Amino acid sequence: MIFRDVEDPDLIAKARKGDVEAYNLLVTRWEKRVFNYLLRLVSNREDAMDVSQDVFLKAYQNLPKLDDPQRFAGWLFRIAHNEAFSLLRKRKPEGDLAPDDLFGVVPQNANLLPIELSLAVESALKRLTPDQREAVLLKVYQGFKFDEMAEILDCPVSTVKSRLYTGLELLKVTLGPQMIRKEI
Amino acid sequence: MLCSNPQQKPDWNAYALAEMTADARREAEAHAATCAACREELAMTRLTLDAMSTLREEEVPRRIAFVSDKVFEPRWWQMFLSPTFAAAALVAVAILAHGFMQTGVTEAQVQARVDTAVTQAVSKAMVQVNDQQRNLETDVHVQTGLLSQVLYKNSGLVR
Repeated sequence: MIFRDVEDPDLIAKARKGDVEAYNLLVTRWEKRVFNYLLRLVSNREDAMDVSQDVFLKAYQNLPKLDDPQRFAGWLFRIAHNEAFSLLRKRKPEGDLAPDDLFGVVPQNANLLPIELSLAVESALKRLTPDQREAVLLKVYQGFKFDEMAEILDCPVSTVKSRLYTGLELLKVTLGPQMIRKEI
Repeated sequence: MLCSNPQQKPDWNAYALAEMTADARREAEAHAATCAACREELAMTRLTLDAMSTLREEEVPRRIAFVSDKVFEPRWWQMFLSPTFAAAALVAVAILAHGFMQTGVTEAQVQARVDTAVTQAVSKAMVQVNDQQRNLETDVHVQTGLLSQVLYKNSGLVR
């Protein structure tokens, strides 16, 4: 990670005092993670970009309300979660998948190359419900702990684990045949 | 295949996701050593996570607009809330208030004041001119008298 000689809490303190460059540095540090989280969650590049923009704008406007600068990451992803689900709720009617779609995209009969496996994973993630997908994204790709996820999602740890484990089980079932063939 | 001891079955997801304490991990590993079903489940979980790691992070297609960019500029109504605007407004109010305090004087009154001032100045100047003229006349009389005395003296008419 670049520019790590100055920690996030220092940048937050400076940004709160009106140092725009400090906030710009925070954006540079976090934009890729936030964008990728949103990209997997909303499954659309332009939407992910727009929502990322909104997330960083809201974060800037609400920076004085951040109680503990040490928990900036969770706070930022909480904003991202709210913005993403606001978008998903708006487009819910067309986002719902028909049952027939559930096994239609992931290739079932191939010895997969890494790129193909990557596409299979991407497709399998889209088969999950938004709640399950988000739990998988926060844990597997963003590396948050269960209690941090509970804060981001504003729900109990038990709910976080339930969503995550169900998502992982579905991914095992969906990806299982490809992974076994690849191992062979 | 089923776990040999379901009541003691570890949470293999938590194990694979590094959410277990050191003690719990040791117990889970001891259980796996004697349970083929759990070893298989753990292997499948790890395989799934490995497969998921093939999904790479994508680059942000264009940079997020920074705070200094136009998108972060306040809307027109937010300008009214800024300290700079408040200070400017305060100065403007002070100027207007000062202007209102001066509005009791009409144009005619101003003209009258100017006329009075001009009259006073002219009168004063006239007095000064008159004084100077009087002094000059006095001087002439004195000079004339002195000259007469000299003439008389030189002509021997003076006693």
